Formats: sequence, structure tokens, C-alpha cells
Amino acid sequence: MDHRMNRRECLRALGLSGLTAGLGWTTAPSARAQGVGESSGFQSSVIDARKVQDARTAATIVDGKVIQPQRELPILHQTDVLVVGGGSAGVVAAIAAKRAGANVTLVERYGHFGGLWTGGLVVLILGHIVKGGKQVCQGIGEEMMRRMDKLDGAIIDRRPGVNPTVDAEAAKYVMVEMIEEAGIDVFLHCWGVDAIVTGNTVRGVVFESKSGRQAILAKMVVDATGDGDLFAAAGAEFEHRSHNVGLVSRIGNLDRVDAEKAKETPRPRRLGSATPAPGVNWVNLTGPEVDGLDLATLTRMEMNHRKFIWNNVQRTRQTPGYEKVYLVETAPQIGVRITRVLNGLNRVRLSDLKAATKFPDVVGVGGASNATHGEWQIPYGALVPTTVDNVLASGRCISMDLGMADLVRLIPNCFVTGHAAGVAAAVAVQDNCRPRDADIAKIQKILRQQEAYLG
Amino acid sequence: MSGPAEPNRLSEPAKGVRHRRGRLIVRGICLVAVIAVLVAARQTHWPVVVAAMSPFIAAGSILATRTVSVIASLGLAVGFIALLRTRWFCRWICPLGLCADGASHMGRRCGRKPATRLSVGRWIVLLTLAGACLGYPVLLWLDPLAIFSGAFAAGPAVIPLLVILALSFTWPHIWCSRICALGAFQDMLSSLARHVRRRTEEGRRPQRWSLPVARRTVLGIGAGAVLASAARLAHRPASRPLRPPGAIDEPEFLGVCVRCGNCIRACPTRIIEPSLSEHGMASLLTPVLQFRENYCLVDCTKCMEVCPSGALVRLSAEGKASKPIGLPQVDMNVCLLGADRECAECRRWCPHEAIRYVWSESEYTLIPQIDPQKCTGCGACEAVCPTKPNKAIVVVPLGDSTGG
Repeated sequence: MDHRMNRRECLRALGLSGLTAGLGWTTAPSARAQGVGESSGFQSSVIDARKVQDARTAATIVDGKVIQPQRELPILHQTDVLVVGGGSAGVVAAIAAKRAGANVTLVERYGHFGGLWTGGLVVLILGHIVKGGKQVCQGIGEEMMRRMDKLDGAIIDRRPGVNPTVDAEAAKYVMVEMIEEAGIDVFLHCWGVDAIVTGNTVRGVVFESKSGRQAILAKMVVDATGDGDLFAAAGAEFEHRSHNVGLVSRIGNLDRVDAEKAKETPRPRRLGSATPAPGVNWVNLTGPEVDGLDLATLTRMEMNHRKFIWNNVQRTRQTPGYEKVYLVETAPQIGVRITRVLNGLNRVRLSDLKAATKFPDVVGVGGASNATHGEWQIPYGALVPTTVDNVLASGRCISMDLGMADLVRLIPNCFVTGHAAGVAAAVAVQDNCRPRDADIAKIQKILRQQEAYLG
Repeated sequence: MSGPAEPNRLSEPAKGVRHRRGRLIVRGICLVAVIAVLVAARQTHWPVVVAAMSPFIAAGSILATRTVSVIASLGLAVGFIALLRTRWFCRWICPLGLCADGASHMGRRCGRKPATRLSVGRWIVLLTLAGACLGYPVLLWLDPLAIFSGAFAAGPAVIPLLVILALSFTWPHIWCSRICALGAFQDMLSSLARHVRRRTEEGRRPQRWSLPVARRTVLGIGAGAVLASAARLAHRPASRPLRPPGAIDEPEFLGVCVRCGNCIRACPTRIIEPSLSEHGMASLLTPVLQFRENYCLVDCTKCMEVCPSGALVRLSAEGKASKPIGLPQVDMNVCLLGADRECAECRRWCPHEAIRYVWSESEYTLIPQIDPQKCTGCGACEAVCPTKPNKAIVVVPLGDSTGG
């Protein structure tokens, strides 16, 4: 059983005991994390690697074309609600659905939770409040903030009327804690790559991982991929948009800037804003407007941005007084803002924001990035695809017009739409209906019970 | 016609007292009505009536802008009555006159003596109308109805009214009889009418009467023309003000605008303010725009509708869009995008979708660019710009901008 130890250690290191519970649900017995022994040392052993690899069929070349032969995929797991994407929307959606009484499974392509919030280092909770300082991001998003309040060095600017800034590691920790408490089945390192569809109904998700291509069957799927990978794969109508792709970085030693020397020269422009870590600032980078789904573009952005950031910090270091400033890190995840956007039954529109439209099917209220305007309601219809059933959008890929993109994509607004999608998916499962037929009043009631703000 | 009435009134004191009391009641009612319109109906079109009653403003405006507006016809009507009845308007309606009379009365009670020397009203009229012919009605803003109207528009604009009251207290009746251009203009109109009447009655040209007036007229017109030209040539303000939509060009605006405050009052978003010291003395109390909190609404034409003098040309909403107020300029040292902060406010709130953010590879940042074809200078971008204390995007008068 020694060959299982490395896996165990790895899970421990991630602090993910919930994962073992998740693996316990697996239908393929060989994949269960059972009978794991204690580590007996620093060593390597040969693993009996049947399991999913057995099902693999290599691609081949037929008449000069690369062909993937048809094959049966192992069903890793079955669940009520499957949330694809463990970012700010997906984590909240999973917790909300679980608390609303559904069995919930969360898959995430990276090894941690938070997506662009943590991996992308978008640590400013921009859009938390509206004009006048009222905080509209409540519910599970606010619960995360409260948990971080109790942690040392986890969050700053937690005062009324201000958008707070969090520590990315603290946020990752809090999300692990809350997901474990909720009892959500989690699969990290799983990239949802295809939808399982019969007719117009989504029945589950195919994902790719180091363990190969597998399937999870679900009664309801929440697309929290940010890029709308799932609803697009399922055949839902969407808009493909370009937006700015940037890369956040953090710089350190700002508490060691020599103020006397710094007086003589203009302040360097890209010093970013404070984070909970002393002397460390996070620095945003807007980046050019490109197609965030294009592989060559993403590659170019990753390389160009890292070059620029490094050189820019060197320029900062040449500024008198700023010699000790250094680059702590560039974000592991590139800052893709908007790519695919759902064509939903309804749409979040800038005209509705300006007119302060109230929707009878409101499932969330969004905030303002610079507290320059009032609250705007998010209708349930903005999460529901027009033609495909049993999949709901959440986060930055919900149905919205061009003018709303820069508000919908903000972290707290992703919390809000994730919360709504999670509860709606649980309600649809409970009532055994399509999301478009879900009882709005019931969704709103549960959201309010979970302390969401609906205007 | 007014000739025989005066001896009658003088010969019957009892009737005269009753007449005066009745007139006082009428004037009081007029004063209350005017104040009510200026204060209670500030968002409506009604305040325009106050300044529009002035034939002096109507004449100056018509000569300067070479257009006769509907509003000016009211002033022309009052002017027509002045031809028939000497100072009819002063005696029955003028709200400022009643206030000045009150101050004079108090001054007299305190033993102040009326002024006997200074008499400038006719000179003001001549200078102004001569200047108006050159497009610059030099002292049109001294019209009492404009001053009274302006006093209720915004805080500092009350100062001219207070100055008049103080003058009237110190030298009783100095305003109405010696300074007021509207009074002097009415006097000129009625003496003109008398002259014409006499000529038609006597069937011959009067000889002794016309000469001094002619000299004065020539002098006044000459001085007015010189002043108007000088004002134009000397027009070099430190910072050009941003005028409400439909404003005629500077420096003519400075002359035609009577500082009545109607536009300031009518603006639903309160973006029009009286200019104080920032644009020089010539601009004092003229309307300037500020977009600190709000902007010029796309379909609003109120300020132009209530302008009595033609300083703001009446444009439709479409016409307003095609005559930009100004053009926004961005200071990338202040703009959040320049510091790579997340912001899309000006683009989001631009009602004309005139703002784009363009990536600069050399600066490695986004730079807002304004499409001058689409931009109307409405100031929505400036109003919503979140930077403090200075806004990163500021609307400047056309011609002042040095590019995005």
C-alpha cells in the first residue's frame, strides 16, 4: 500500500480532507482513496496503473487527419449539483447549493480555490459597495469576509463604504475551510472539457486530469468556468467577446522606501495598492484587448506581461529611494476578463442599471467598481440559457450586454451570481424541474435565508 | 395722451394719494408675483418672463444677435407702451424699482439727500445699443430686471441688487432717476414719440430740440463702438469658461448675456453656476458649467429656452448634440488607467459611446480616446470620473484641447 502514500501526503499538504470524502463517492472502486497506509520514508515505488488508463485509446492518424477513436469514459462520480470551476463564483455556488440541501460536487482545474481572485491575485474586492457606501455583496461572500476578519493579516480596509483587500492565501484557506465544513465533494486538477448532453438536457461533464478523461454525472450543472466552457460545449447560445487580458503582480519592500530620497523624483507610476501583507502591494495590469480563448494569444500575453513586469520593477528600483522594492511574484493565473458570454433568457443591461430597474425574478444585486452609481439587480433569467436545460451560468460569463462586462466580472459580483446559481440549481434538483421552470419565490426565499441581499 | 393727465393729478391731491396707494398695491402684487415666479417656479419656463419684459434687453439682444425671438416680443410690447405712456413700466410693475424706492424712503428718513449731479442712464443706453450693433452690447447686464432676476438664481449673484439698494439708501432715488438704463430707455422712447407727435401735429421739423440729443447720441454711439471694439480686442482671459449649450461665441457672449440667472435656475442637474473671479471681471456672474457631480442631459434644452437675451441660442436636442459644449481632455497622470488601476467609468457613462480605451504598447497601458465626432461635451465622463481631488477627464472649451 506504500504506493498510495504520496497521494495522501499531497492531499494533506493541500489541506483537503474533503477530497477523500469526495473520492469515496467514486463509482470506480479502484479510484477510491481507501486503505492508505502511513508513509515509511522518502522513496518511490511502482504503481499498478490499471484504473482509468485502461480505457485510454490513443489518437491516431487516418488519411493525414488526427482521429480520436470513439471510447467509453469511466464515470468517476454522480451528484445532484455539479459546479465546474472553483473560482469566486463556483465556490460560493457549491456552498450555497449544499446548504440548500443538494449533494454537491465541485471540480477545479488548478490545485486551489479562488480562480482569478486568488490565483489571479485580484485581491481587491472591487464592487462590494454602491454609491453612498452601502454594501450590496452579502450572503456567502460576506461570510468569507467575516471569516477573514478573524484571521490575522487576512484582510484590510474592512470599514463601511470601502472596498476591502484580502490576502490571497487567507482566501484560499477560508475557502478550503468552508468547503470542508459544508461537506462538498471536490476534485482538483480537473479541467471540465465537455458537456454530456442528451437532447437539450445537460447530464454531466467530461473532464480531463492526470487520471485521464472521465465523466461526472449530475442532475444540474453550474458553469462557473468564467469562460462559459460548459454551456458552450452543451450547445447553448453565447457571444464570443474580446476584452483586456492582463497579469497581476505583487511587489515588496514598499515599507523600506527611503522617503527622503524619494522626494526628489516623481513617484513611480505602477506601485499598485496595499495588501494585508506589510510592505507588499498588488499591482494591476490592464493589458491589450484580445481574444482570451485564443491559445497563441494567451501564450503571448503570459510571456509579454512577465517581461514587462520584471522590467518595470527594475525601472522602479532605479528610482532614488525605491532601490529595495522587488517583485514578489507574478500571478500564477493570467487575467482573462471576458470571453464567452451567455445568451440568456434575460440579460443584465447597462440601461437597466441607469434606470435602476427592479426585476421580479431578482436573484442578486451588483455593486459599483468605484462607488459611482447605485445598485443594479440581476434577474434570474441572466443565468439561464435559452435553448439548453440543466445548466446555469454564474460569474463573469452570465448573460449581459457590453456595457455591463466591467461590473459583472468583479469578484463580489461573481460571489453574488454564484450564490444565485447554486441555490437555483439546488431548488431545480429538489423540485425535479428544469432551471427555467424553477420556483423563483423559493429561490429568493432560500437566498434571503442565506443572507443574500436582493434589494 | 399723458400730457393732460399730469396736471389733473397734481390739482387733485386727494385723488393723487389714492392713486399712489393703489399704485403701491399693484407694484407690491407685481413684486410678490415676480419673486414667487423666480423662487417657486425656478424649474419652469416662467422666470424668463421677468427679464423678457425689458425693452432694453429686447433691443440690445435683437441688435446684437440680429434675430427676433419670441421672448423678445414681450420686451417689444412693453417698449411700445413706453412710447405712449412715460415710464409706465417703472410706475406700475418694476420690482427692482419698488425695492429701490423702499431703500430710498429709508434713506430719506435717515436724512440722506438725493443725488443731483450724476445722470448716466441715457449714456448706458447709447453705449450699449451702439455696442450691440457691433455684436457687443456693452452694459446690457445693467438692466434692472436682469439684476433682479439674477439675485434669486445663486448666492453671489445677489450682490448687484444689494449694491443698488445701498446706493438708493445713500443717495435716495439715484438708481431709478439717474442710473437705470431701462428707465432711461423708456424716457428716450417716450421723448421720441413726443417728438414724432409734435412733428406730425406741427407739420414741421423741430429745430432747437434735436441738436443736443443728436450730439449726445453721436458721442454715445461713438463711445459704445469704441468700448465694444476695445472689449473684443482686450478679450484675453486667463482661462476660457465653459458655457452652457447654445452659447454664442466669446467675447460677444459677455455682452449679450444679461446675468439674469435664468439658465442657472432652470438647469435640472444644477451644473450651471455664476462665474466669480476665475474667468476675470468681464465674466462676472455669467453662466459657466461645472461637471463635478452631474452633466448636461442629452434631451434637455431648458437653459436655452429661458435665455431672454439670445446669449444662449435656442437649439433642439439634436441641434445641441451637433454643437459641442467642449471636448474632454484626459490627464494620464491622474487617470486610474494610467496607474493600471481598474476603471471603466467614463466609457460606461458616456451617453454617446464616444470614449474608447486604446492600448498603447509603448506605455503598456490603456489610454482613453474621445471621438470628437460623437462627443457633445456633455460632461458625463467628468461627472463620473472617480479620481479625487482632481478629475482625470475634464471638459475644456473647443479649441483649448490639445488632443486626447
